Amino acid sequence: MSALLDVASLDAGYAGLGIVSDVSLEVGAGELVAVLGPNGAGKSTLLRAISGIEATRTGGSVRFEGRDIGGMRADRIAKLGLVHVPEGRQLFTELTVDDNIRLGAFGRPRAFVERALGEAYERFPQLEARRTSTAFALSGGEQQMLAIARALASEPKLLMLDEPSTGLAPRIVAAIFETIADLRKRGTSVLLVEQNAYLTLRVADRAYVLEHGRIVLSGPATELANDARVRAIYLGGSSEE
Amino acid sequence: MLQLVVAGLTVGSGYALVALGIHIILRATRVINFAQGEFVVLGGLLAYSVTNVLHANVWLGLVVATAGGFAIGLVYERFVLRPAARGGELAVTIVSIGCVYVLLYGHSLVWGSLPLPLPYFSGGEADVVWRAGGVQIAAQQLWVLGFLGLALGALAFFFEGTTYGKAIRASANSPVGAALVGIDVDRARSVSVAIAIALAAFGGVIVGPITLVGGAAGVGIAIKGFVGAVIGGLDSPVGCAVGGLLVGVVEKLLEGRLGYGASDPIVYGLLIVALLVRPQGLFGSRRAIRD
Repeated sequence: MSALLDVASLDAGYAGLGIVSDVSLEVGAGELVAVLGPNGAGKSTLLRAISGIEATRTGGSVRFEGRDIGGMRADRIAKLGLVHVPEGRQLFTELTVDDNIRLGAFGRPRAFVERALGEAYERFPQLEARRTSTAFALSGGEQQMLAIARALASEPKLLMLDEPSTGLAPRIVAAIFETIADLRKRGTSVLLVEQNAYLTLRVADRAYVLEHGRIVLSGPATELANDARVRAIYLGGSSEE
Repeated sequence: MLQLVVAGLTVGSGYALVALGIHIILRATRVINFAQGEFVVLGGLLAYSVTNVLHANVWLGLVVATAGGFAIGLVYERFVLRPAARGGELAVTIVSIGCVYVLLYGHSLVWGSLPLPLPYFSGGEADVVWRAGGVQIAAQQLWVLGFLGLALGALAFFFEGTTYGKAIRASANSPVGAALVGIDVDRARSVSVAIAIALAAFGGVIVGPITLVGGAAGVGIAIKGFVGAVIGGLDSPVGCAVGGLLVGVVEKLLEGRLGYGASDPIVYGLLIVALLVRPQGLFGSRRAIRD
């Protein structure tokens, strides 16, 4: 039985500049897998190379449900059920909250779209209150919720989240992590890239540590949380907590 | 005076459609398409071939020119704008200026370089004219304004009310975000350009019976449409429509006092004044200036 997402010996970067090298990782069905690492380690590049935006793959393979998706166009990959919430969120800032979520389910029948909209507002009641405002007018926390809501509208098989907690107040970060934990409970697979190692290792099943574009450590989240190196670098005297 | 305003609104409708096309292409590709005026001319010429060569009626001409404009727009995006985009936005702008001349001379090879007539929509050799309170209104002028309204309504419905219209706006707003929700951004871009060119061709047919079609009119139409778009606000569809109409009215009012052609320097001067006084345009937002 193969994994839902299977990345093997991936090399990727931008226009001749290699960032990620020889990265192999797997996400099984229903699993919440985290990628930890400092700024500039290549975490975002890794996700971009998987979802087919901006970064280019120069070696290795990416398989989703057994199908080779390396080199496939981003919109086709999204249609397969692998949905990426990127750094900077890439919301449709000029469109309303409603339209952002509806477009998350682009190409689906009307009934599916309306049901997705209802579910999004059930999950994030705060967004329903602002359904007719433009995404531009939302607070940072609301924008992150909207980015997640838009991605979930298509009922993805695998959700990839790029640092959803960055720049948000602690109370909002807690709410976002609650959402992530809840997704896992409902069986959505998640690949989570984060700098907040403490919260991430509490919700994740397994984690990889990425440094200088390479995976230096991997294992069950509980083991990594107790690993001396991880504690020293990411959990110990880190000023981020 | 009122007479000139009516005449201004009529030619202004053509500018408004050009301005809207410039707006739509700018949003989709971040490039000003200076060839927009030549597509107005091309629309008129296609309709001329349908009515005067094939002897079919002008309604078929309108449909053929608009649908032809859409198809030509798809080709123009795929084989001109998209390859040029690899060289950056400036390259595309220059290519669009080059296309002005390719189309200009292309048109004269096929249709000759003299302006050609289009039949009035109400039929007959001379247009029906009504007089009301000292103002003469020709039937064609009403057709033009009516069709402008129709086009504006159709555009508003498409971009505000349909999923694909919203997907096109989303693709312009955030191409990466659009790709990540499964929108084919390249296709959204071609459809945008095709709609803009179809609008231009449509404009050429409705205004054509009044202005004649063909000749070297395209450059002037493109520049006046662009001036209208800047005055109204390049990032605002309403602004583009209003700006185009305004340029038409100013042009006709000045022509009424200064004679034919004398208005051009003043109309272009308006562009400079508009950029100095209100660079975002009447209906534009300040954010647009940055982009």
